[in-house]
Amino acid sequence: MKKSSSERIEKRITSSVYVGDGTLRNRIDVSSRYFILEVEIKNPRASCPLPGQFFTIECGGGKEHLLRRPFAVHSIVEWSKEYAVIQFLVEEVGWGTRRLRNIMPGDKIGILGPLGRGFKFFQGNHLLVSGGIGVAPLHFAACYLEERKIDYTFVAGFKSSRSCYSGLEKLEGNVLVFTDDGSAGKKGFASSGAVSAFEQAEYVAVLACGPEPMMREVFQMSSSAGIACQVSLAERMACGVGACRGCVRRGKNRNLCVCKEGPVFDGTDVW
Amino acid sequence: MDLSIELAGIHLRSPIVLASGTAGYAYEYDGIIDFSYVGAVIIKTVTMEPRSGHPEPRIWEVTAGVLNSIGLENIGIDALLSDVVPHVSNLDVPVIASIAAETAKGFARLASRIEEAGVFCALELNISCPNVERGGLEFGVDPKATSAVVSAVRENTSIPVFPKLSSAVTNIREIAEAAYIGGASGLSLINTIPGLAVDVASRRARLGGITGGLSGPAIKPIALKAVWDCYQATGLPIIGGGGVYDVQDVLEFMICGARAVSVGTATFQDPQGAGEIVEALPSCLEELGVDSPSRLVGTLET
Ligand SMILES: Cc1cc2nc3c(=O)[nH]c(=O)nc-3n(C[C@H](O)[C@H](O)[C@H](O)COP(=O)(O)OP(=O)(O)OC[C@H]3O[C@@H](n4cnc5c(N)ncnc54)[C@H](O)[C@@H]3O)c2cc1C
Ligand SMILES: Cc1cc2nc3c(=O)[nH]c(=O)nc-3n(C[C@H](O)[C@H](O)[C@H](O)COP(=O)(O)O)c2cc1C
Ligand code: FES
Repeated sequence: MKKSSSERIEKRITSSVYVGDGTLRNRIDVSSRYFILEVEIKNPRASCPLPGQFFTIECGGGKEHLLRRPFAVHSIVEWSKEYAVIQFLVEEVGWGTRRLRNIMPGDKIGILGPLGRGFKFFQGNHLLVSGGIGVAPLHFAACYLEERKIDYTFVAGFKSSRSCYSGLEKLEGNVLVFTDDGSAGKKGFASSGAVSAFEQAEYVAVLACGPEPMMREVFQMSSSAGIACQVSLAERMACGVGACRGCVRRGKNRNLCVCKEGPVFDGTDVW
Repeated sequence: MDLSIELAGIHLRSPIVLASGTAGYAYEYDGIIDFSYVGAVIIKTVTMEPRSGHPEPRIWEVTAGVLNSIGLENIGIDALLSDVVPHVSNLDVPVIASIAAETAKGFARLASRIEEAGVFCALELNISCPNVERGGLEFGVDPKATSAVVSAVRENTSIPVFPKLSSAVTNIREIAEAAYIGGASGLSLINTIPGLAVDVASRRARLGGITGGLSGPAIKPIALKAVWDCYQATGLPIIGGGGVYDVQDVLEFMICGARAVSVGTATFQDPQGAGEIVEALPSCLEELGVDSPSRLVGTLET
């Protein structure tokens, strides 16, 4: 059995990244596929995560499932050098996420982060467009904008009411929910929601996270409207810190290292 | 207990090293890995020209292992010397460079540039990468080519040279002997093993590079046998690894003939895992009745 090492190496942690154990404080099922993990960290030392940044979580796979899984920060309940509570919104899609759904409050989980580069924000109206679990980092972005009294419209697309994320109801901004089958909100894709959002208002920036075809469509819409679009990419990761080159993908003119240079990129770097 | 070892003339404070390609250029993990536990870091293989590597996806998790098709993406020797060397010299850990080229001459030229940098304590020759068309396994499967590469490097460098061998060969003893004859100071093994993963629904390979290299606990028994074979065939100091996950694995590799043991894929799961292994080593060695790691090397009872 491997023992927890968070204390031993704590003295050495000088960077802005926390590595060690967190404790599951709460797990909240929000739909048949989505759940929230609320994780407590003692002495995180690290700097407070920004919207778009992510952590890698050790799902307890031992030798059999070796890789950590990356998850964007969904919200910060509390953050100081001594104590932090953060939330991840997770969609159950395979072994690791199923395992995370089954851990119990009080259990320890290995976490590493905050990692990567998040979204850039501006003064003025923002358009946020998410597809599926892409709602996780954009929810954090919306909270961040609210705190700073910056306007936004949030277009969130889901497959159906079964996978819808109800937490959006607590947001104060203009939130428009779409489902593919019309079982909740309006019927349609997030990208068609974005079309009407573009017709109704002007924006200084567009932030998108979701399936790649959706992000690409939103990027193209933004480009024709002359607005910069930031997209949050997902690639399979091994190290999460820029060391293994496993998450690298082709961009428009160069390779993009998703874990280190991203996951948020300007759309113009990608397509 | 003093955990330090001598490895072909270099002094390592512990026998645990980080495997090439899994710890980047070391500084990416600064503040995350506690390098004071680590004997040495072997940095990502560098080539003469920068390489952009394979298309995504490059990583696929399999049972007890990971398939990768990075395709030797690296920044090239010029950027290594100008951008990485200043960081490397600030780290409190010996750093071993790793090189790959398409010809023996290419290896030799890279080797002299590495040595000139003055910050690398040894050199690994990657003649076993399964993810490149030319200059990878091509050398590592052929005794003559292995020997030619090693001797070309040997003539151009004075720092210790460790050819990195693949187990995906018919007879690894022959390759190890050829490396020995070429003048290798030691051997490093094993590299990843060629593999393939398939998505049934799309009938596509899981990796952008189609095939990849398998690492992790799945390959450990193969690696142990390869280390044992090479130890018997040459007696050279060996950096052994492949699937190392915990201290038990380290002991197994040492018993089979490894003087130093590399941790690779396991670092992805736990960046502090190598440190935990080093902490656990003294009591494990004591239990086995040995007072230093080197006393365990090659003690397999047969
Ligand atoms: C930067 C980043 C942030 C992310 N944020 C979140 C988040 O906030 N909430 C959330 O639920 N998920 C997020 N993901 C995706 C999440 O990492 C994967 O769903 C998870 O790793 C799947 O693990 P698994 O073992 O359950 O599935 P596996 O059994 O490994 O795979 C099941 C399915 O998930 C897909 N998948 C696996 N890994 C990834 C990945 N890295 N990116 C995209 N798809 C993947 C596979 O293609 C497969 O179809 C994020 C991914 C990245 C790269
Ligand atoms: C993502 C990844 C990248 C690698 N890159 C290199 C490399 O550039 N050069 C090299 O010699 N070996 C490379 N390797 C092989 C490792 O150094 C090691 O030999 C192999 O993974 C087996 O050890 P492990 O099971 O402990 O990972 C790489 C392995 C992985 C998983
Ligand atoms: S996951 Fe290793 S470089 Fe990004």
